[in-house]
Amino acid sequence: MKEAPFARLEDVIRDPLFPELDVALRQGRHIDRDEADRYAFLLDAQTHLEIFYRRYGCELMHASDGYFYLLPRGDQLGRRHLTAGEMLVGQVLALMYLEPSAVQAGGAVGTAQLVARLVGLVGERELIRALNPRRKKYDERVAQETVRLEIGKALRGLWRLGFVEQLDDERLRLRAPLLRFAEPVRGVEDRVTTLERLLSEGKAAQAPSVDDEETEDES
Amino acid sequence: MATDSVRLIASLHRNGISLDLKTVDLCFLVALYTRAKDKALTCFEEDVIVDVFEQVCELVEPGAENPRKRATHAIQRLREQRLLSRVDGVGIMRAGEYALTSLAAAIIDFFMQDETLTRESLTLLTKTLLASLSEIKAAARNTTTPDEWRSSVVSPLRVTVGDLVAGIERRQRGLDAQQEEVQRRIAELLQADWFAAVDQCQALLDDTTATLAELNAVLLHDTNQMQGLLQDVEHLATARGATDAEEAIRRVSEQVDRVAAWGSTRQRAWSEYYQYVHRFLRDVVRLDPGRALSERLRSQLVGWVENPFFLVSAGANSIRLLREVDARVHRPPVVRPKSDREAPLEEVFPDLEPMELEERVHEALARALRTLAAVVAEVLPHLPAQRRFVAIGRIAARVATDANPRSARQRPWVQVPGEIQIEDWELPGGNNR
Repeated sequence: MKEAPFARLEDVIRDPLFPELDVALRQGRHIDRDEADRYAFLLDAQTHLEIFYRRYGCELMHASDGYFYLLPRGDQLGRRHLTAGEMLVGQVLALMYLEPSAVQAGGAVGTAQLVARLVGLVGERELIRALNPRRKKYDERVAQETVRLEIGKALRGLWRLGFVEQLDDERLRLRAPLLRFAEPVRGVEDRVTTLERLLSEGKAAQAPSVDDEETEDES
Repeated sequence: MATDSVRLIASLHRNGISLDLKTVDLCFLVALYTRAKDKALTCFEEDVIVDVFEQVCELVEPGAENPRKRATHAIQRLREQRLLSRVDGVGIMRAGEYALTSLAAAIIDFFMQDETLTRESLTLLTKTLLASLSEIKAAARNTTTPDEWRSSVVSPLRVTVGDLVAGIERRQRGLDAQQEEVQRRIAELLQADWFAAVDQCQALLDDTTATLAELNAVLLHDTNQMQGLLQDVEHLATARGATDAEEAIRRVSEQVDRVAAWGSTRQRAWSEYYQYVHRFLRDVVRLDPGRALSERLRSQLVGWVENPFFLVSAGANSIRLLREVDARVHRPPVVRPKSDREAPLEEVFPDLEPMELEERVHEALARALRTLAAVVAEVLPHLPAQRRFVAIGRIAARVATDANPRSARQRPWVQVPGEIQIEDWELPGGNNR
């Protein structure tokens, strides 16, 4: 029988990888197989860390697609909801992740390609409405500029959370955690039922929190 | 950038060299090349060229009008771009004979070459290379004069060894292109057959992986030996002071390093690609054989603006690291050195000249003089010559204040003492002297 790599929680905490990984998880980062060392560490320390984080009112989630993330259940640790821009861009990227065309480039896609898909699927007017929620009237040029800025901001946010990897200014690599965006449509249940389950489990929320809106305004 | 290449770039720019080839031109070149190869021709008669063009036209653009005229234009285009050259040299005496240039041959080679690196070709090339290097090493031991070094070491290194390494590099580029083709093929297979293509994709992945692993093993083993031999020759060259040979060895050594680095970088890149596709096949294709997930996700995205939801993640703020606290250090305030700001008083005699001048002007005005020039003439003689010019201004100012002067539109210029002329004013109520 294989011996457990970490006998006690103390051994996990003493590991040199722990501090930066702990900070990353608490800041909402998703760790997948592409981050081989961190992922292997989490696999080895999973049992101890699940108990450890539960004491902070958090759940260390391990998705079957091969990634970890921390889900706050209470108020002890900060939580954030993804912004509207991050949600829209994230869903398009998840869609691209599922398509064979991304396979040819090993999961790398261009940002121009992403914007084109987003506009094609959601529609320009809807996109402007979703990303300029407080403006009833708008100048088309300014609104388009705002949409581009919001998409850039969303990509940076998704990169910080570990959903994508920035290869250069024009290209990014899609990563397995993007499949989180497809969770409401993955089960055998219908979308509404699955979404309700996700809402009750605290994995999703129905509206961006006030804090998030304020953060968006500030930035 | 090397001087040669800079010169070439400048010359290309200066002469406006460019290539503009249409598909039919490329097809035409390939057809000519194939004809030459099949029939062992070194050049083509004009009629043959036109025939070949007509055949190509029939193939790629059936029904095109006036193929002979188009052939004439195509030949002209190719000649202008130095892809076809006339080789008979008889001018207008008779129809010409033409040959493909080396530029045309290189372009055709690019499209026709199927040289890729295989275990057999690589082993053959590396073994030949090792044999050549061993011969060079043996020759280097028995070489003494600079001429001998040049003929037995430098030339074989530059020509034989250089060409062999270049041959490996060329085949490496062929294999790179093949890998790209495999990646494209995998994407196409998945696009067309999705779940049914899994086994084919896996086979393609495994084949390329095996090929790369074999090639890398051969490269690692043989390039080590090559570098060892090159080092031995370099030691001999250094000992005998053969700088040309050292330079040639360094160049070949860099080429060999590049060949070895290719193996490891390609294997690493392919390994990443392999893992990505393997995960895609396992996590996406096998779990969603009907591609229903993509369809449902698309619907979710389209309706998201109407029914939004937001994923939740942890969002702890960064830990604040407080600055290290130091024991309080007394810092004296920044002050200016003390100095006595009261400057010592000094005795100065009053300047009475302006007052005296003013008094004289008053006296002159009291005598009811009728012009400014008269006042000036009255006052100036009391002043030293060097101060008269400045004094005139002061006199005029005083007169303007006290006497309410009048002036004609064209004021007359009047000579006053001291070789000075002034513009004159009339003074009302005065007497001209």
